[in-house]
Amino acid sequence: MEDVLSPNEKKVLKSLSSSEKRIEEIAKETGLSKEATLQASYMLDDKGLAKVKERKRIFFRLTKEGEEYARKGLPERRCFELLYSKSNKIPISQIKELFGEKEGGIAIGWMKKKGWARVEDGMLILLSAPCGEDEFVLELLHNGQGNEEILHRFRDSIEELMRRGIVVSEETKEFYVSATKEGIALSNKIELEEEISQLTPDIIRRGEWEYKRFRRYDIRSHAKSASIGKIHPYQRLIEEMREIFLSMGFKEIKGEIIQSSFWNFDALFQPQDHPAREMQDTFYLDSMSELPNRYENVKEVHEGKVDYTEGWGGVWSEEFAKRNVLRTHTTAITIRYLAENPEPPVKAFCIDRVYRREAIDSTHTPEFEQLEGVVMGEGLSLKHLFGYLKEFYARMGFKDIRFRPGYFPYTEPSVEPEVFIEGLGWIELGGAGIFREEVTKPLGIKYPVLAWGLGISRVAMLRLGLDDLRKLYHPDIEWLRSEPIWRRI
Amino acid sequence: MPVVRIEYSDVEELIGIDIKTFLDRLPMIGADIERIEEDYVDVEFFPNRPDMYSVEGVARAMRGFLDIETGLPKYDVKPPLIEIVKDESILNIRPYIVCGVVRGVEFTDSSIRSLMELQEDLHWAIGRDRKKVSIGVHDLSRIKPPFKYTTVPANFEFIPLDFDEPMSIERILKEHPKGVKYGHILEDFDRYPIIIDANGEALSFPPIINGVITRVTEESKELFIDVTGTDKSVHTALNIMVTSLAERGATLEAVRVAEVSGDVMITPNLSAKKKRIKLDEVNSLIGLKLGVKEVVKALERMRYGVEVEKEIVVHIPPYRADIMHSWDIIEDVAIGYGYENVPCELPNVFTVGEAHPISIAKKRVREIMTGMGFLEVMPFSLTCEKIHYEYMRRKSNGRETKVLHPLTQEHTMICTDLMPSLLHILSLNKHREMPQRIFCVGDVLIDEKTIPHLAFLSCHAEANFTEAKSYVITLFREIDTEFSVDEGTDPAFIEGRQAVIIVDEKEVGRFGEIHPEVLSNFSLDHPALGFEMELMI
Repeated sequence: MEDVLSPNEKKVLKSLSSSEKRIEEIAKETGLSKEATLQASYMLDDKGLAKVKERKRIFFRLTKEGEEYARKGLPERRCFELLYSKSNKIPISQIKELFGEKEGGIAIGWMKKKGWARVEDGMLILLSAPCGEDEFVLELLHNGQGNEEILHRFRDSIEELMRRGIVVSEETKEFYVSATKEGIALSNKIELEEEISQLTPDIIRRGEWEYKRFRRYDIRSHAKSASIGKIHPYQRLIEEMREIFLSMGFKEIKGEIIQSSFWNFDALFQPQDHPAREMQDTFYLDSMSELPNRYENVKEVHEGKVDYTEGWGGVWSEEFAKRNVLRTHTTAITIRYLAENPEPPVKAFCIDRVYRREAIDSTHTPEFEQLEGVVMGEGLSLKHLFGYLKEFYARMGFKDIRFRPGYFPYTEPSVEPEVFIEGLGWIELGGAGIFREEVTKPLGIKYPVLAWGLGISRVAMLRLGLDDLRKLYHPDIEWLRSEPIWRRI
Repeated sequence: MPVVRIEYSDVEELIGIDIKTFLDRLPMIGADIERIEEDYVDVEFFPNRPDMYSVEGVARAMRGFLDIETGLPKYDVKPPLIEIVKDESILNIRPYIVCGVVRGVEFTDSSIRSLMELQEDLHWAIGRDRKKVSIGVHDLSRIKPPFKYTTVPANFEFIPLDFDEPMSIERILKEHPKGVKYGHILEDFDRYPIIIDANGEALSFPPIINGVITRVTEESKELFIDVTGTDKSVHTALNIMVTSLAERGATLEAVRVAEVSGDVMITPNLSAKKKRIKLDEVNSLIGLKLGVKEVVKALERMRYGVEVEKEIVVHIPPYRADIMHSWDIIEDVAIGYGYENVPCELPNVFTVGEAHPISIAKKRVREIMTGMGFLEVMPFSLTCEKIHYEYMRRKSNGRETKVLHPLTQEHTMICTDLMPSLLHILSLNKHREMPQRIFCVGDVLIDEKTIPHLAFLSCHAEANFTEAKSYVITLFREIDTEFSVDEGTDPAFIEGRQAVIIVDEKEVGRFGEIHPEVLSNFSLDHPALGFEMELMI
């Protein structure tokens, strides 16, 4: 026990007994400052070795004005004496000239109140001015005797002086400390010797540590946690997915946020009257992009003027295809990359932000991150798509996966992968498929393209236990500080 | 996407299978089960299979999928007794019409509702919200053939559904809920499509509303169905409607449509279109080695008719709207064969993984910033002029990207700087412990180009220019780049306490003490320093 006492605590404890002692007295005995003594006393109190008691005391003292009056006399006294030396009947106007408007007024008022003078026809007539109790109290306070006792004896005068702003009361605390039984027992055992509390360069250099003891810490006492810089938990998840793709031999690709409708929709065989292309789902811009070479091939496919598909029929509008949008999916980036890199094998991925014109709520935000992987090569088929999906999701931590037929406008066959999550069952996570020939052929891509994608925020909700996606983008800083870098699931 | 409510009593009656098997197998034909209740299930079907937007359509598909009844469904269509004549004036407005008659219908309250739901779902999926296709269903006993599909002026009057007094077309478009909702489809015209009977009674004002006279009730036994529109998908919609009713035991009867040219078309046309597929193509797309027999079996399960010649000749059911390419059929082979029976295999192709230079740069900067004690944030890039310019005491230089038709006042443009969004995040965290140091590596749009930026803020009682400068010096040391500074004039910072950063004689960023007015605009009461630069310098 004594090992956890600081030298100050030991000193203070040594000077305590079972009866109360004033803190100032202890400070004197130990040679410590009053503050240090008090601090050590409270530490001893925490440890059950001493008892600290606070007592409140009221003390009266003079204000700055009061001090002046104590030296020179109250305004009415000074006024009375000065006037009395001249005459016992003086015009009021003359008094105010002598003492000033304010002080003269105060003096006349108090002289009248105390019965020292009376006023007749604008003249002050002086009577007699015996020394009052208030003047006695003023003197006592001037001598520093303003303890509580004075209040009991001269309550009326004190209160009047306080009203006049001459006296104020102050509350002070006095501290008394006594040792407990345990304290006394320990006190008897303590040998006062100096301990090392903080190891310093001096102590190391001088080798003092060789003959001094180290004060022991209470290892269970609380310490504040450190504030550290951290990567956003969502970004960490994104990095994890990037690593998976990179480790599987995929090349990372990026592209512009602004895409023409051509790359965002038409190249992906989305009919121009498709509901997803309407204003209410897509952010359109007031600008256009030029169409790429060979765009006519895409036009032909849409209009059904090729032999391998019926297409959508109708007339495909170039103006419509030129209109710029904020990309609604990363597929706008992957398809463009494939069109520009048609030589197999291609394994590419894109993780980036996409935009949808959707009302914000806990599961919908107008921008969010999407992940997409594509594989293009000779002889690829649905079973290989399943193979990639199984491998990819397993590396993400989803070991059980199954495949359901799905529908996406630009893939055929289409797949909806589902993963099994303890407590939630089979959860649909993303979409996949083989790009339609209507997509690949017009762009000069000669081999099958396997593709899959998913909204990462879905995974973030599962992995970070989020109930509201908005927290990712408008974070509570306390959440960023406290969310573990390595969350064990 | 349309959600179809399937009652278990219908599953037993129309498919003849127990509910558990039904619910187990249903997702594997391509459906999302939304909700399983005590006596019904809500199922979402995909937009490529509008023929499954009715209980009858689901039953038809599932009978095949569960080997109860496979191959092409057969529907008898009796020869036409009724004629509809097309007027020339309709050709520029809504030229396509196909019709059918259904007799011997037994309606209940729920089967009428189910028919109306199918009609609405088809309006959405095939009809593009009635623009391309709209459907009218009429009680045939109330009207007298032959019918006429023609046009009328805006003052033409009839009693529309849901009202009990005659209204002019003009009033319907202004006051009737359907007129208000769909009137835009006809806004360019001064004559309006109408179907009238031999007595001049209005059956329908497509694509807006039917006349009240032909309202379908539980007593209705004979139906006349019209489908009007702007292209040939009217056929698919009609075929789905009539075959769905035939599945319940009704009798189908054709209608003569007299074209303006004098030709006559008999509808519905329920003959199957044929398409050839190659066994090789099937196997190479799915990655299997199926024989012809297995492919035929899978196709018949998916309700195709099949003839095997040199190639496989597939007869497509007349209600299928989605078969435009041979792969559409091959996907059905895979579904019929069962996705669960397709193996998972990784091809043996060698490729090398490669990170994008921007990602590499972002990752390194994240390491530097977190090392200096900053927390990463990832705000939206959508913002508004008020936060981006007004709050920042800045003026637009016209290089930002505005979105057309913003959904909210807060998201009208894409940011050109990240700092306003960082300040916004601080304003949401005023009550949290100081100091607060945050950073962001994100994309901004300048002149419609995507440009990666880095920005950071440090906010606490003693934040000042010197602190900012020391971060800047450290950052540039860590990215191994020489820089110089020049006096800055950005109104978002305090004058004389800000600098621009110059690398290779080009201004790449700026930093300084945030102006107190900016802080107040974000209702922040602690000083802050800010920094922003282009990432790829």
